[in-house]
Amino acid sequence: MANEYVLRIPAKLEGMDVILAFVSYLLDINGCSAKARTQLRIAVEELYVNVTLYAYPDGDGWAEIRGSVEDGVVTFKLIDAGRPFDPLAKEDPDIMLSGEERGIGGLGIFMVKNTMDEMAYEYRDGCNRLTLRKQLN
Amino acid sequence: MTLTTEKNGTALTVRLSGELNTLTAPELTALLNKELGGVNALTLDFAECDYVSSAGLRVLLATFKQMKAAKGNMSLANVGENFKDVLENTGLDAVFGVF
Repeated sequence: MANEYVLRIPAKLEGMDVILAFVSYLLDINGCSAKARTQLRIAVEELYVNVTLYAYPDGDGWAEIRGSVEDGVVTFKLIDAGRPFDPLAKEDPDIMLSGEERGIGGLGIFMVKNTMDEMAYEYRDGCNRLTLRKQLN
Repeated sequence: MTLTTEKNGTALTVRLSGELNTLTAPELTALLNKELGGVNALTLDFAECDYVSSAGLRVLLATFKQMKAAKGNMSLANVGENFKDVLENTGLDAVFGVF
């Protein structure tokens, strides 16, 4: 069983840097291509920011990230106890539209779906649990 | 993130250094709100910035629309591999002038 690293912080926007430092640390000690590193950091940023904005409409809450690497594949799990929300169920934006027609939103989750090897969402024991998997190289 | 500007008549170049993410994108918005008056050619230079998340893309798209509406142009210069990957993944490479 691979070592699992865990970080739980208040679900606040200003915590994004520490979440991304956690992601970078795990990727850097395990050797990760520059491309996969950026894609993973962007994915975690998009998902974490969503949690800070939407998970706890009535007040404060926490967000947790778990990370592990096994056989060259990194797994990140994002967990929060906010209201149930499956980001994967969101409809994709139409990326064929011209610049003037393009909507401003929806690109974040779309990018995550496009760049991860595997994603899964589950709501269990009162928590949203989103799992990302990707090859390091 | 560090932003430096160079104005030449109605042409403005903004050089970005660092990461354009959820926390830093408001800095770019604020700078553009301040500097964009009377500008018809905007160049955003990404030589020192190769991380752009959706918050950054939103600023770029909003600025692109604003420039178009004013009959101006916006282009992205010195786009690195990782940012190029983001633009291709979102179809925005076909929207923005990239060189």
